[in-house]
Amino acid sequence: MLLFRSEQHIDRWCEQWKRPRGGTLTLTQGWKLAQLWYGDRLNPQWQPKTASEVESVFQNVGLVGEFWKLTE
Amino acid sequence: MVRTGECPSVAEMAKSLKSSAKSIRAALSRLSQSHAFMQQENGELWRVAPFSVISTAFPVTVGRRSWFGNCIWDALGIPAMLGKNAQIGASCGCCNLAMPIEIHDGKPHSGPGIIHIAVPAREWYRDVAFT
Repeated sequence: MLLFRSEQHIDRWCEQWKRPRGGTLTLTQGWKLAQLWYGDRLNPQWQPKTASEVESVFQNVGLVGEFWKLTE
Repeated sequence: MVRTGECPSVAEMAKSLKSSAKSIRAALSRLSQSHAFMQQENGELWRVAPFSVISTAFPVTVGRRSWFGNCIWDALGIPAMLGKNAQIGASCGCCNLAMPIEIHDGKPHSGPGIIHIAVPAREWYRDVAFT
């Protein structure tokens, strides 16, 4: 997951790596995702999230659609 | 890593836990099934999410301590996990232009920027280094 100056720079990177465009987030969405993903990581009882919990995190951040799906 | 900024080696973990290097490598291998931990080919840790054990293009400074994130998500994850203000030395994935991010009062402050993730969520752990 990389940070880019603009949409044009994402396109250039995809062309260079011969990859289709993936998913994009604003920095605010990335920060919210990081908070939801890592906010509880220092808890000694921490457990990895299930696929449906991960999808719920994505939805909370506004990341929806096939690209962000983990379950059928 | 939180306390010192350094990841102990397998030998150091074996010594402090009075265990063998073989047992430590096996335990790290089990922990790596969660993907929160990932090992290098030699069995040493590579990733202790959100920290990277090796240097990356995502340095994160909190106070007088510094770490590396594996990607921009993990770099943001370090201050998110610690609940601290931070400076992230990010740069454009295309042209390497410096794009510093300041986390202050629970919010990111930076110039314009867009995060791109190349691989659909279902495929993330097939090649996490490329994701």
